[in-house]
Amino acid sequence: MSAAARVAQTSQAVRAFRKPPKIRKPLKYDESGLPIPHVNLLVRDTHPCRLADHYYTTLQDDLMYMTYNHESGPRPPPRAIRLTYDPNDPYTKNRYNPPVGGSQLGKKPAPPTTSENVVRLEKISIHTMVKEALTSRSNLLGAIAAFRALSGETQLGGGRHSNEGVQIVKAVKTVGGWVRPGLPVGVKVDLKGPKMYDFMATLVEFVLPRLREFPGIIMPPASSTMNSPSAVSGVVSFGLPPEAMGFFPQIEVNLDAYPKSYGMHIHFVTNAEGIGAQNRARALVSGFQIPFTRK
Amino acid sequence: MFSRTTLSTYKWCANACFRRSFATEVGATSNVSPSDISHSKKSGSPALHTSIILNRSPIITRTPSPFERAYYAYQARIHRALHNPFPYEFYFKQGSPLETRFNIEERRRERKAFGTPFGVDTSEKSEATELAEASLRDEDEETLPRIHEADLKNDFKNLNRRGQRNLYLMLLKKESGSDVWRFPQGGVNKGELLHHAATRGLDAECGTHMDSWIVSRNPIGVFHPPSQEPRIDSAQQEVVFFYKAHIMAGQVRPDRTRTQDFAWLTKGEIGTRVDPDYWLGIKDLLSDF
Repeated sequence: MSAAARVAQTSQAVRAFRKPPKIRKPLKYDESGLPIPHVNLLVRDTHPCRLADHYYTTLQDDLMYMTYNHESGPRPPPRAIRLTYDPNDPYTKNRYNPPVGGSQLGKKPAPPTTSENVVRLEKISIHTMVKEALTSRSNLLGAIAAFRALSGETQLGGGRHSNEGVQIVKAVKTVGGWVRPGLPVGVKVDLKGPKMYDFMATLVEFVLPRLREFPGIIMPPASSTMNSPSAVSGVVSFGLPPEAMGFFPQIEVNLDAYPKSYGMHIHFVTNAEGIGAQNRARALVSGFQIPFTRK
Repeated sequence: MFSRTTLSTYKWCANACFRRSFATEVGATSNVSPSDISHSKKSGSPALHTSIILNRSPIITRTPSPFERAYYAYQARIHRALHNPFPYEFYFKQGSPLETRFNIEERRRERKAFGTPFGVDTSEKSEATELAEASLRDEDEETLPRIHEADLKNDFKNLNRRGQRNLYLMLLKKESGSDVWRFPQGGVNKGELLHHAATRGLDAECGTHMDSWIVSRNPIGVFHPPSQEPRIDSAQQEVVFFYKAHIMAGQVRPDRTRTQDFAWLTKGEIGTRVDPDYWLGIKDLLSDF
């Protein structure tokens, strides 16, 4: 077979379909009468992801150079604050081992820079609180529909057990006779993988440019502490006003089908950790053209 | 992409900078122990240079390989077969032109995924459907070509060439009588910070008719050019520090008197043009794709 013929054949195989294999064993049926396939079907990527490509071709290298922290030699062992617990010591054998006091969270140094732990986007988490849900929980339905349209996520979507879809947020604490624990108060959805990058692209190209007077994500003043939990968690968070919901093209087509517009909080969760994690996370997020500003 | 050797070479070079907060040129007498003075007076400190790897990032997405296309088509078919039913009545008013149009497009997508249906009577068409089909026919979506004319003409100076690949700027220089391809390069003044010297060197070599951005204050690699004359102790050793930069707009305009030519090249094209020694020093700094 000539090379040209082989190329023609392979390119044809992309679209032409073979005959489906003969079913030798009849399929089982579930309780609703639907056939259960013999294999676990998983839907994987259905198209190349533009922003993921951008990350791997351009951003990752730049971020490695920008966040590289040079260390000569291995790190010294952490300072021993008190005697360590020795279970074989007859004195401490059956005694309680109290934890060291104080918050160590903001003092944890960043892990050594390697080419494997370059900062990357793990997930985008969106949530909103619907105050009217306190009076009647059916008021959550509009927010659930809007979040489904925004994210395209469904529970167990694509046959994945980790897909939780749009979740209902329940209250944890009592707030002065207003909120009781267990009461549904809001809606959230976690985006991962290609859907996360698609959401990022929609946000950057359709929503943020059309928002009136949006200067960018406001950063805390430069004098603020670098040791606060929010500064070392590697998460970039900001909020969108209710008007912004109408700028998402998925919702713009039938905005009047929703009972009202919902504002939302958006968290970009990255793998950055330790001191300076939020700066590394900001460097990553601004690489996807999200603007930042100071007051 | 960038291998671990990049990091390890960088570690080595940062040690060489005597652990300062920024890399500067070492003064003639500083950091030299008394026992070394007699030797170092002769050889002197190494001559520092900064070199800019000016990068044009990919401007269009990568064309998927036949295997990838088959994979995506297969996954899209599974997705289409298993997806939840689409809530038409939520998104469209009954009988609206938008719904008719969506139905036509959806039927086309269905046919593309699973083939022509049978047992369905498609001969009878409503007026609305015909109108929508006519309007769809009038729209001619034109996809832009993925190959630019600069690719066909082999125009190495055009920034639109090889849109899917990372391109790097190379200059053709006359060095000791022979033509040499290398990255833009500049010297370091005494007491000057390396990343300042890099900015200055880029402006001097490539002109100011472009928007560029130097990625980090840290050099991304180091190169020790082999000396031309046979190894003598008195010969001054040379060190080149590489910085990465991006071009955002504009074009380079090198000085005609000092530079013969310039070209925007992929990694593979660079490998065929530069000296083997230089190639060994830079090949791990460049992106394979």
